[in-house]
Amino acid sequence: MTRFIKKTVFFIIPVVAFLCMADYGLSRILKTSNLSENTVWRDVIDGNINANVAIYGSSRAWTILSPEIIGDTLHASVYNMGLDGHNLNLQLLRHTLYFKYNRKPKTIIHSIEIFTLQKRKDLYNPDQFLPYMLWDKSIREFTSGYEGYKTLDYYLPGARYYGKTTAMHNAYNVLAHPASNKPERIKGYQGIDEQWNDDFDNAQKQIEFYEAVLDTPTMIQFENYIKEITSSEINLVLVYAPEYIEGQKFIRNRQEIMNVFLTVSKKYNVPFIDYSNDQLCYDKAYFYNATHLNKKGSEIFSGRLASDVKKLLIGKQAG
Amino acid sequence: MPASSRHSGINKLTMLFNSLTFALFFPVVFILYWFFTNKNLKLQNAMLLVASYFFYSCWDYRFLFLLLFSTLLDYVTGIRMKEASSDRIKKTWFWLSIVINAGFLGVFKYYNFFAASFANLLEQLGLNVNPGTLDVILPVGISFYTFHGLSYVIDIYKDRIEPERNFTDYALFVSFFPLLVAGPIERATHLLPQLKRQRQFDYTQAVDGLKQILWGLFKKIVVADNCATLANEIFNNSGAHNGSTLILGALFFTFQIYGDFSGYSDIALGTARLLGIDLLRNFAYPYFSRDIAEFWRRWHISLSSWFRDYLYIPLGGSKGGTWVKIRNTFIIFIVSGFWHGANWTFIAWGAINAIYIIPSVVLQTNRNNMEIVAKGRIFPSLKELATIITTFALTALAWIFFRASSIQHAFDYISRIFSASTFDQPSFFKLKVQLITGLVVFLMLAVEWAGRENPHALMKFGARAPRFFRLGFYYMLLLCIFIFSGSDQQFIYFQF
Repeated sequence: MTRFIKKTVFFIIPVVAFLCMADYGLSRILKTSNLSENTVWRDVIDGNINANVAIYGSSRAWTILSPEIIGDTLHASVYNMGLDGHNLNLQLLRHTLYFKYNRKPKTIIHSIEIFTLQKRKDLYNPDQFLPYMLWDKSIREFTSGYEGYKTLDYYLPGARYYGKTTAMHNAYNVLAHPASNKPERIKGYQGIDEQWNDDFDNAQKQIEFYEAVLDTPTMIQFENYIKEITSSEINLVLVYAPEYIEGQKFIRNRQEIMNVFLTVSKKYNVPFIDYSNDQLCYDKAYFYNATHLNKKGSEIFSGRLASDVKKLLIGKQAG
Repeated sequence: MPASSRHSGINKLTMLFNSLTFALFFPVVFILYWFFTNKNLKLQNAMLLVASYFFYSCWDYRFLFLLLFSTLLDYVTGIRMKEASSDRIKKTWFWLSIVINAGFLGVFKYYNFFAASFANLLEQLGLNVNPGTLDVILPVGISFYTFHGLSYVIDIYKDRIEPERNFTDYALFVSFFPLLVAGPIERATHLLPQLKRQRQFDYTQAVDGLKQILWGLFKKIVVADNCATLANEIFNNSGAHNGSTLILGALFFTFQIYGDFSGYSDIALGTARLLGIDLLRNFAYPYFSRDIAEFWRRWHISLSSWFRDYLYIPLGGSKGGTWVKIRNTFIIFIVSGFWHGANWTFIAWGAINAIYIIPSVVLQTNRNNMEIVAKGRIFPSLKELATIITTFALTALAWIFFRASSIQHAFDYISRIFSASTFDQPSFFKLKVQLITGLVVFLMLAVEWAGRENPHALMKFGARAPRFFRLGFYYMLLLCIFIFSGSDQQFIYFQF
């Protein structure tokens, strides 16, 4: 038995050493990757944001709100922290880590939408957490409720990379083709230079309408977050960016959700600017699908939003 | 896979052999087994039983009660049959156990199938009825532990064995965790005596167990799971692919099911060997078979031999006239197909295999190839190669029924294979994955070919090569598992 244990241990030691080294190496390389969300996570966790205005939200923030245009109008540095595919819960993970590692902003523009208060089951794009999640309490707390990683993935070096072929391939690309590792997002923003596509038509073919489900814990989380911000010196502006008008009709309980936002806005005295009837909403030329403005639309809208926020902030200072 | 969505464990995946949870669970059991309970057999068996129940309850604790009830029923039946004062009482106990065991299987596994099929039949006759299907999930491993219990009760009834009076030992025979959820289907005559005697740690056996586990993990995680990704894509969109791509899909599934189930069996056998227990061999390189009869002696051996001993032979076996042989062969294969799941596709798969094998049964050529192919040689002869390829092709064709979602789907799939589009270039929709999968399948076949004269492929692999070569090979397998593990796929046989 002693011989067996000894030999097994000697066999396992290189495996454990390899896992630790693979974990360290892969995480280090992936931290330098500029693939979509990676850039923002790196800036957040490395404390590189240093912005006066932070933009929160989902892909509707990431692709719609240009920090450059907004910054020019507000004469402030702006960073867009829109998180693709995720609802409020993981937007708040980014918020938590942002506040932990960076200077706090003076203003937060939070792009809210129909899906903000929903909860999805799967951990969409789980690879984005790989380089940072080992022994990170915040990431574990926010992501462990999803179907994605298992408990041991947060604690055992190497475990979370098991079978992550795409992540390993990305790491290889960063090393082998450094020239192609260009940032896709500038200050977190990425305008999508596309025309109207089939997304909305396909959705209509599949279902007659969509009904968003409000998640009670997420609603509580939303109110707590607003309380946290309003109790500080930070200005919070809730924004509902333009949606294509036919797309608005596609959401059956849209008004119910808008009422929730209105109620919260009034309850905590937080400005809520709703662009649901903006003239952009009536022209497909500004969208690439029903919920996302294209680059042309986003640039027009960013300018419009910046002016409105500026008026609001000036009014607040005057008041 | 048909029926998989009804499975209790399908979304839990808490204690799969290829999970980190199991990688933590097993060393704890190993330490308790060899260091803390090894001096007291009763305590050691009790600990194994608790570990087995814990293992099972990680899937779904509710079905632990079903397992306990089934175990208790067969335990009591065994003793009552032995102590019965008359044949009538003995028979009553025997049938009580058979009916209740079959009843569990019937309710959990087959009720919906029969209800829906009956309603369908009435509908054909112009009568509309609500089939009243049950919204029940299938308890994991029910087909396996029920068959353990049935063989035990039948053997006692036939006076082949004595009943086990120690409940812990009997319960462990039914629930021993390496075999609990997907076999091998053990016999009381084989496993119980091992549980009754003190086990001694055997270094060679333990090292061999580790090798078998490693090979099983490679087959499951690298081969089967990667093949599954491609097979699923092709089978789920078979209407959109040409014939040559569908052939690829059938091949991927053929290797998926082998890698999956034989990989599982290797891990189960290796795990048991680390505990000093030998389980029945389940696979013996079936894809190197030269005819279908040989294939069935090498595929899921514990189930095939169960059906042979408890169904085929009692029906008369190959004794009697030609029609009796044909009838018995059909019965055993159709029942075997039905055992796999409540779907006409499995029955069709069984029937096709019966059709394949009947000529050799009738012509009494079914025992022509008893030894492993090309024994003592490196390469097979051309004739052997041709017969291996033919048998493999027939098997792959039958697997289409096993994998298809319905009989219609299988026929559509096969008709597209036998169409002009088969001469078109296959669609390489995931070229890199397809290439890597092809390479790992080749590696698996090469290693299995080299080790085909041994109980498992790695047993003597590289035995004559320097030690660093062997170690390097094991580390390469581990690296493949780490890098090329496919998407987390359920073990196919857990649904049965």
